[in-house]
Amino acid sequence: MDKRVSIEQAVGSIPDGATVALGGLSMNSAPMAYVREIVRQEKRDLTVVAIVAGMSVDWLIAGGCVKKVVSGLVSFEGLGLAPTFRMGVQSGAVEIEEYSEDLLICRLRAQAWNLPFVPTKAGLGTDLIPLHEQTGTIRAEVDPATGEHYVACTRLPVDVALVHAHSADELGNVRVDPKLIWMDNEIVNAAERTFASVERYVGHADVVAEPHRTTYPQFMVSGVSLAEFGAYPSSCFPEYSHHTEFFQAYSAAASDPEEFATFFASRVAGPETWVDFIQSSGGEEMVASLRRSSA
Amino acid sequence: MTPEVEGYGCTVDELMVVAFSRAMDNDTRAFNGAVSFIPVCGYLLARRTHAPNLVWAASSIAIDANPPAIPESTLSDALWDGASMLATSSYDFWSYASGARYNTFAFRGAQMDARGNVNNTVIGPYETPKVRLPGGGGMADLGSMIPKIYLWNTTHNPRTFVEQLDFRSGIGWGDGGDHREWLGLPGGPQLCITNLCVFDFHPESRRMRVSSLHPGVTIGEVQESTGFEVLVPDGEIPTTGRPTEEELRILREEVDPTSARLREF
Repeated sequence: MDKRVSIEQAVGSIPDGATVALGGLSMNSAPMAYVREIVRQEKRDLTVVAIVAGMSVDWLIAGGCVKKVVSGLVSFEGLGLAPTFRMGVQSGAVEIEEYSEDLLICRLRAQAWNLPFVPTKAGLGTDLIPLHEQTGTIRAEVDPATGEHYVACTRLPVDVALVHAHSADELGNVRVDPKLIWMDNEIVNAAERTFASVERYVGHADVVAEPHRTTYPQFMVSGVSLAEFGAYPSSCFPEYSHHTEFFQAYSAAASDPEEFATFFASRVAGPETWVDFIQSSGGEEMVASLRRSSA
Repeated sequence: MTPEVEGYGCTVDELMVVAFSRAMDNDTRAFNGAVSFIPVCGYLLARRTHAPNLVWAASSIAIDANPPAIPESTLSDALWDGASMLATSSYDFWSYASGARYNTFAFRGAQMDARGNVNNTVIGPYETPKVRLPGGGGMADLGSMIPKIYLWNTTHNPRTFVEQLDFRSGIGWGDGGDHREWLGLPGGPQLCITNLCVFDFHPESRRMRVSSLHPGVTIGEVQESTGFEVLVPDGEIPTTGRPTEEELRILREEVDPTSARLREF
């Protein structure tokens, strides 16, 4: 079965109100081509799961797509706070359900492994425990056999996982190659459906010749989409770096709501295709300046 | 530029890095998170001076990295040059962390309390925050898992060092006393290194206690800059140790030639 789909087709299959998990970590390997298309298709009321996120979550909130963020951290690191995330939560427009990284991973594993909960010592003694008394999604418990304290992390159902990777074949075998997967495997393993945007397609014969390079097998993947530079403005190790100037321009625009609306509409949501977007973000010159190695 | 340290021939960022470095030893197995320039410089300096066997996983990924300089992000892959392994699986990382194979971690927060608990979640109430901060990230995990926790802060003032956190994103010594032990958590915070002083923790109450004052800083200034009552040791309070010429040279020329650490000031 040929699983190659366009960015537009993949995103088109996501219904309003879905729980969508985003791959990447902070400034790295976020599935930005899919994220931008979610904005363009004006999806609404999404619950967005992102373990450690930045620009991806900020775009979705700026696009009015998000009801709730489920995350451990959303920031631009040393480049500042994620402005729309910050404003969205402060104004009450967006709900934030905070966990720590490992608490989210354990919830995703409970889902992936079909267990009522996965235990961890993460979060013990923090305010995340009372925070979730209402949601009931994590619970501080004591093991009756040993008396040890732990946190029980319940299942986290995910409708769609979106990740960015280096390559895929037509059957949907995906390579993160080199295999720097951050925590993307955790969302892929938990999700009902996974879409992977990739820098390039390879032939199935190539995959068979070097099966050790496959990261996600085709049966775990619903579709793959070609998106060259598809993690921009985040990085894709080792091929290209994040784009500092984009983060700075975005943050600078965010200090004024009107200016930001214009910036977001023209620079982010405006360009029709991903190729157009990369072109309008600086095109080949910008790509060359961020490119660190080629495949 | 950060302030000169009186009589030491260095600046306060350099003094903080050296104080951090000297707290590390050959059994240190550390990793780092975002915006962690002082600890990253400290690990690299310690490895080049008194702790050659120190293990450091750059960005929690690149084990034994030896970068020629420190980039603008401490999670950037530009920090990974010279690594002997990229620990690319979250399974491996969380195994090393949960089992305390990694034994050292450093974090800072927008707010820190007397017992070394930190807040990076909200200023104000959680549901209706005055400022929504990035979130605790791995603090709640690593605070609970890692036996040797080091805290640092470059803005020592009463808004940062508070009596009561608005949200406890990561545990230090918890409610104090034997709270960590009761929860079954290993170790706890060892030191808190600031731009004014170094704190350790009282062995029973687990509250911050001035361990040394930076040159020219008085105990009165530290108390005025701290939103909770600062404990003082018996007798004269030591002065934070003077960096050697060699430590300063290695830091300036080899570890952090572009002064990336100033991004924290």
